[in-house]
Amino acid sequence: MKRGAVFLLCLAWLFVTLFPIYWALVTSFKPPPAVNGGPTYLPWIDFQPTLQAWIDAFSGIRGDFVRPFVNSTLIGLSATVLAVAFGSMAAYALVRYTFRVRLLAGVLFALLGIGGFLLFRDLGLSRADSLGAAFVLALAASILANRLPLPGPVLGNNDVVFWFLSQRMFPPIVTAFALYLLYSEIGREGVKALDTFWGMTFCYTAFSLPIVVWLMRDFFQALPVEIEEAALVDDVPRIRIFLEIVVPMARPGIVATAMITLGFVWNEFLFALLLTTSDWQTLPIFLSGQNSYRGDEWWAISAAAMIAIAPMMVMAVLLARLMRSGLVLGGIR
Amino acid sequence: MARVSLKGVVKRYGAATVIPRLDLDIEDREFVVLVGPSGCGKTTTLRMIAGLEPVSEGTIRIGDRDVTDLRPGLRNCSMVFQSYALYPHMTVRDNIGYGMRVRGESRARIESKIAEAARILGLEPYLDRRPKHLSGGQRQRVAIGRAIVRNPDVFLFDEPLSNLDAKLRIEMRTEIKNLHRRLESTVVYVTHDQVEAMTLADRVVVMNSGVIEQIADPITLYEKPANMFVAAFIGAPSMNFLAVRLTGDAVELADGTRLPVPQERAAALAGFNGRSVMLGLRPEHMAGGEKGPAVVTLVPRTIEPLGPHTLVIGELAGTRITAQVDARFPCRPDEPTRITFDMNQMHVFDRETGKTL
Repeated sequence: MKRGAVFLLCLAWLFVTLFPIYWALVTSFKPPPAVNGGPTYLPWIDFQPTLQAWIDAFSGIRGDFVRPFVNSTLIGLSATVLAVAFGSMAAYALVRYTFRVRLLAGVLFALLGIGGFLLFRDLGLSRADSLGAAFVLALAASILANRLPLPGPVLGNNDVVFWFLSQRMFPPIVTAFALYLLYSEIGREGVKALDTFWGMTFCYTAFSLPIVVWLMRDFFQALPVEIEEAALVDDVPRIRIFLEIVVPMARPGIVATAMITLGFVWNEFLFALLLTTSDWQTLPIFLSGQNSYRGDEWWAISAAAMIAIAPMMVMAVLLARLMRSGLVLGGIR
Repeated sequence: MARVSLKGVVKRYGAATVIPRLDLDIEDREFVVLVGPSGCGKTTTLRMIAGLEPVSEGTIRIGDRDVTDLRPGLRNCSMVFQSYALYPHMTVRDNIGYGMRVRGESRARIESKIAEAARILGLEPYLDRRPKHLSGGQRQRVAIGRAIVRNPDVFLFDEPLSNLDAKLRIEMRTEIKNLHRRLESTVVYVTHDQVEAMTLADRVVVMNSGVIEQIADPITLYEKPANMFVAAFIGAPSMNFLAVRLTGDAVELADGTRLPVPQERAAALAGFNGRSVMLGLRPEHMAGGEKGPAVVTLVPRTIEPLGPHTLVIGELAGTRITAQVDARFPCRPDEPTRITFDMNQMHVFDRETGKTL
């Protein structure tokens, strides 16, 4: 009885999740009258399917489809690889080493960073130079200050992780404008950042890092430390322990994290809207453009949407297989 | 192969001192077992020798090198862990050879060392398997194989047999002992199992709350325990303790029973006449029936026949006593029975300090 109810609930939920995909799929095969003349549900019964929307999409009469597709793929994969690589290393360090950051040293970093920049600029250095100089100065001073017995609270590993996560707690719009200004300033210094591959990749890497660190920390924490200790006693360098022992053991976690990150980057809209204009426009921007281009041609928009989600579906199937074989490997004892 | 020496080693975690001050010298080629109840600091001591745990004070030397501040990899130790700690994604061959490969040894040398280790440990049929396809005993052999190919100065074993079932544990125990004889290496071995300690060790170090209670060879430990802790820890079933008063040629139990003490023991204890002390006597130094001058009446509560002999557990002068009697000795629960004490084997301890008198 109870099982039956649960099964029914699951079926209902399956319907809720699958229906939008089904709806987009059938709409992409509908002729315009089947869309505009009220809802139709079943091909060949409610309406006669046509390939016209797909032919239009691939023939390019509704804008260049290939370019944003390639852009999204390149930016998504690069940002995911970078974020997972650096995030995993950070997470590993946060699990295996103890960090003690004195709050005053952190405050000193902020003060010297901002104050130093203003000071150097007033002394006549260029903005890029004064920024670099202030950063080096602030970093060196705060590292030295951290060794002094300064009063005030001492932050540990959990505080560092919280600091990472806190980057994702405020709404993205808060940073989006700041990032736009930063990028245009960098552009004025001669390095083009807006509407470039590296500009988008760095932005997405930075915004994926907190999640990657947080997720990977859990996976690394679950690994038995003795295996690494055995390698340490055998004089295996830390970096090889990480790459050759820890990473293979944490593979299911890394795959899952990469999947989540890729999904986030692939769907991201706000940053892409502000930071790209034409050359490196991504799929979400292109898709939303479809609507304003030629009006509510839902059959065409549905075809475009199907093309946009197809790669993620393929990735999910492939990575799910990797994850499963990894989980079996995880049986350590 | 080398000596290991710990001098004035202290270990603190924050404000808590786990090991107050520890001095220990381990000879070249000696098999030393650190034994004690959980939390006694034996594993911490082993990990400090390995370099996995920093030392708060004092020095550790291996051979003629001061290794106190050396990282684990440079101490030339090999360690075998309780959980085996095999690399799960590598085959047995790679598990054994990984360390050598990282150190950049030649392929031919790695192959020959793996083959030798596999031959010694009987792992030849399993070289291409992953750890998850091995039994517990085979995994432990792989872990030992990984340790021996290093030709270490010292082998460190951290409760290596605790995850094995009882039968396999006894087999592996013998194997480790044979291996030690064959490799002629220095071994430091940690266990909480006193039988394992006694059977394996040249010398046993009994530890309790970070302090070494006694260092001695197994027989000395059994025959001449330094204090009540060692006396109670070594031997199974555990030694019996009775509060008694020394009265010259006898000891007097709380219920008034007098047990005559043999002359030479009485002479040695003459200085303590009239004192209230702890009498220690092992179950195996008791016998059923009246077979000597020191006889007590015990009311058995439980009778445990073990086959070769039987354990009678009962109360004597308000204290729980376990006596070992012949398998066919007639006795029943709640029916008072006569038990003879072999007073030649008695131990006498100071009641306050627990030290042997």
